[in-house]
Order: sequence, then C-alpha cells, then structure tokens
Amino acid sequence: MNGPRARHLLRFAGFAIAAALLHLVVVREEPGLVRSWLAAWRWLSGTEVDADVAIDAYVVGQIRLPRLVVAWFGGAALGVAGAVMQAVFRNPLASPDIIGTSAGAAFGGAIALSLDWVALSLLVAPAASLGGALLVTWLVFVLARAGTRFSATGLLLAGVALNTLVGALTSFVVTFTFDNYTSSSRVLFWLMGGLDLRTWTHAAITVTGFVLFAALLAGRARQLDLLTLRDDSAHSLGIDPQRARRWLLWVACGLTATTVANTGGIVFVALVVPHLARLCVGPAHHLLLPASALLGAGLLVFSDWLCRITPADMNLRLGVVTAVLGAPYFLFLLRRHRRGEELT
Amino acid sequence: MKLHGNGLAVRRGERELLLGVDLRLHAGELVLLVGRNGSGKSTLLRLLLGVEPCDRGSVELDGRPIGAWPARERAQRLAFVPQDPDCPFEFTGRELVAMGRHPLRGSRTLTDEDRAAVDQALTAVDAGEFADRAVTTLSGGERRRIALARALATGAPLQLLDEPTANLDLEHALALAQLLQARSRAGLGVLIATHELNLLAPFADRVVALHAGQVLADGPPETVLSATNVATLFGVDAVTPQGYFPRAFVPRRG
Repeated sequence: MNGPRARHLLRFAGFAIAAALLHLVVVREEPGLVRSWLAAWRWLSGTEVDADVAIDAYVVGQIRLPRLVVAWFGGAALGVAGAVMQAVFRNPLASPDIIGTSAGAAFGGAIALSLDWVALSLLVAPAASLGGALLVTWLVFVLARAGTRFSATGLLLAGVALNTLVGALTSFVVTFTFDNYTSSSRVLFWLMGGLDLRTWTHAAITVTGFVLFAALLAGRARQLDLLTLRDDSAHSLGIDPQRARRWLLWVACGLTATTVANTGGIVFVALVVPHLARLCVGPAHHLLLPASALLGAGLLVFSDWLCRITPADMNLRLGVVTAVLGAPYFLFLLRRHRRGEELT
Repeated sequence: MKLHGNGLAVRRGERELLLGVDLRLHAGELVLLVGRNGSGKSTLLRLLLGVEPCDRGSVELDGRPIGAWPARERAQRLAFVPQDPDCPFEFTGRELVAMGRHPLRGSRTLTDEDRAAVDQALTAVDAGEFADRAVTTLSGGERRRIALARALATGAPLQLLDEPTANLDLEHALALAQLLQARSRAGLGVLIATHELNLLAPFADRVVALHAGQVLADGPPETVLSATNVATLFGVDAVTPQGYFPRAFVPRRG
C-alpha cells in the first residue's frame, strides 16, 4: 500500500500505539513509568516476582490492561461503526449517536443498573445494552419501511425520532431512581461513559465484538463506496443497495452495541473519527475503514488517559472528554464549510 | 442486446403515473424520451433499470426478466446516469468514474485495462482536466460529465441517461450529442430522457413521447415532434416547418 494517503495509516497506527503506552504507564497512581514497565514485562513473560512487583504486576495486568484493551478496541469499533453508518446513510453527519443505536444501548444499560440486575452477573449490563441497541435498530427499520423498501432518508428520520424518544425514556429512568442515591448516581455515571473497574470479561466482549463484526466488513469496502451514490446509481453498478444497507447497518449496530455495553455513553467518537480520517486518507473505504479503526482506538485511549491524569476528585468522565474534544472539531468544520460557500 | 418494457404501469399515491407503457431499446439506436415535467420519464427509466418495481407490466433485458439477472451481469449490460448525480463525499472524479468498472472487476484492484477505460471515458466527455479534483468542488455541469463518464466506463451496450445535457454548456452539450450518436452508430443503445428537443432531436433515431401516462407517439423525430404532437405534449405552437431543427416554439395562441 503506497501513496501519501496510505501513509496516514502508519501515522494513525503510531498515534494509537503511543496513546496505549501513555495509558498504560503514565497515570496519577503508582506504579509509575519504570515500575509499570517492569511489571508489564514480568506479567507478560510470566516470570516469578517478589511481592512488591507482584502487586505492580496485578495493577498493570488486571486493572490497567483490561481498561486499555476496552478503550482501544471500543474506540476502533466506534470509528468503524461511524464510517459505515455515514456511507449507509449517505450523510457525513450520521453516527450511532444520531440514529438511536447508542441511545438504545444506553437505555438498556440504564434499566439494568437502575433495577440492580447488575448484582446478578457482570454480564447483565452489557447484555441489556446489546438488547437495547438491537431493539432500537430493529424499530428504525420497521418505522422507515415503506412496503418492502426503505430509503436512507427514511432510516435517518426514523433514527433521529427514536434517538430523541429513547433519550427521554433514559432520562425518565434516571429521575425515577432519584430517591435511591446509589442507584441513580450509578446510572448517571454510566450514561456519561467511563472505563472504571473494567475486567478481562469486559475486554473479551469488546474484542470479540470488534473482531466478529469487523470481519463481516472484509471485502465490502467497494460496496460501501458504491452506497455513497444514489440507490439507482448503486443498483446500476451491480449491487443491491437495499440489502447492502440493511446488512451493513446491522454490522454497525453490532460494533456499537458491544462497545457501548462496556463503556457506557461515549459520544462524538463515531461521528468525528471518520470525518478526521476522511480528511487524511480520502473517502474510499479500503483506506477509510482501517484509518477510522486506528484513529478511533487512539482517540478513545487518549481521552481515557486524560481522565486518568486529572485529579481523582474531579470525577472527569470519558463521555465528557470525548464531547469536549469533539465539539471544537465541528466548529472547525463549520469554518471550512463557510469558506466553501464563499468560494462557490 | 435489447431492452423491452411491456405494459408498464405505476401509481404514485392517488395518481396513476404510467398507465401501460410499451418501450423498446435496441443496441445501435439513439432514442429520446420526451414529455412534460412529471410525466413519468424518470420513473420509466428507473422501471427499465429494475431499481423500482412496477405495479403492472414487465421489463425484459435480452428476453429475460430484468429482476432475474444477477446484479453484476445486468450492470455489465445496462448503465444509468441519474437526473441528479450527487455524492456527498469528496471522491475525486477519477475515483467515481472507476466505480463504473465495479461490474467488471468485482473485488479485484484496478487493472491496466480498467485504468485505460477510465481514462478513455474521462477524455470522451472532456473531463480529464478536473478528474483529480474532489467532486464536491465541481460545478453541476462538471459533475454531470463525471457521471456520464462513469456510465461510459462500464462498457455496457445499453445506456439509460436522465437529462444528460442538463447543466452542460452549449459546447459540451453538442459534443455529448455527437459522441452519443457516434457510439450508437458503433452499436451502443442509448435512451435519453430530455427536454432539449432542439439540441438532441437532430441526432436521434427515434423519439418516444409520453403523455397522460401513455405513449402518445413513437417514431422518427420529424414525425413525433409534429406541430400537433408538440401542442398536445407541451401546450406550445411550433412556428417553423416540420422536420426542420432547431424549431421555434411560442406559447399557444388564444
């Protein structure tokens, strides 16, 4: 793979790796840089260690690494999901945050937390989130359907409507649990997104979700390119746009749901990452998909690292950081758009 | 290679848009599809393409129902340029034209043959100069030439073009008409939905006039675009002799 566009992939990979290294060893709590490296090396190599290093190895291997893995693969999944949805909807502003998939996952998680189902098993919140995301995506298809067909615009409108409705229902769940401080604060914190107390179980779900659904996209880059055209043009070039949109939207839903189920509400990543990646590697999906995965991974890990180096009493949540990082980018896009209008 | 629409009928809401239209397109002919705004020209093209189902009637490509063709095989035979060829993302013109090779190459990377076909198509519509710019920065006419190049790059022997001269300046519109006529003489079948009677009729072999959901007339341009038919179709009078182009049209007297 050659060319200036493809070289951006290497830069994004470098960013994702650098962010991961920072995340692993440069944080406010001990062990610091040197001890973390030592512990990580011992943990990875399985070497017998003394008690102090064993504690460090536990912190790195059982607390930091699973958190890093969830952030890395979750960010990659959200980046890819955003790129797929923007092609499927032929709209650069489409994302799981806009069409209700993320809201459905958040609603499912909020229900599980507010009813204290999470006491039953570590897997209940992720399962409820997955169920919520799938249910909302299915409803989007049902509402958007006209006979046996649906349009990208119809899907988008149905998604925006359900996003608002499900968001309101989630707010209701929060207010409904206000008299129970523990429960309501747990729901609120979860909705704001965060990677505290992530275990290897969460990491396994996130990695499996990413690998499974990303594999389903293999060989579909050109199909995604064609879907950015009108349905009649895409049809005339030898694909079935209706079937392709339906299939790809389920894949994007799967990528989003298995991530949000383990991270809570993470906004802007799926929206901003494909935009940024497209600026560097162009809109062709054979480069855009890997670029979005690497940039998404780097961005979410970097955002979580910012959460981890700020004072603990600030309680800075991951979803807040991604929103703060994402909003200025859209102001940048606005400036760019205005310049474009002046040139026309 | 031939495309036949038989008794095509379609309803839009409460309105019967097409009431049983027969239309045929053979390789080696250039056919114009004319009619008022909203007469169903674009819908008819989409029915013939097989992207939209009809309520009654059938479409056959080379004697086989259009829906029975595997998508890629159909695309190798029948190309299409929509009325509004938009793409919201910043593909270059060349990338968009290369998409026209999808039916032929599947998931393979572009071969030298594909690149040559893309270059030839870009040259044919005089789009080489802006082929490497993002389409979002191109004018409407330039985007249309890119969409036309994409259809040509497919190499399909039948082409359905929805208002291909819209937004084109006079030089490029005439050049396109000449190109399509030359290609049709070499075996390409072209069906053009258009309002540009004066510009395109001299190049056409046949004109199909749609009126009130049916085919009003189907035949040589001189016959179909008679003063009587023009008055029925568009509510205007033709004031120059029949068979002479360009013709002058004036609002109906009285």
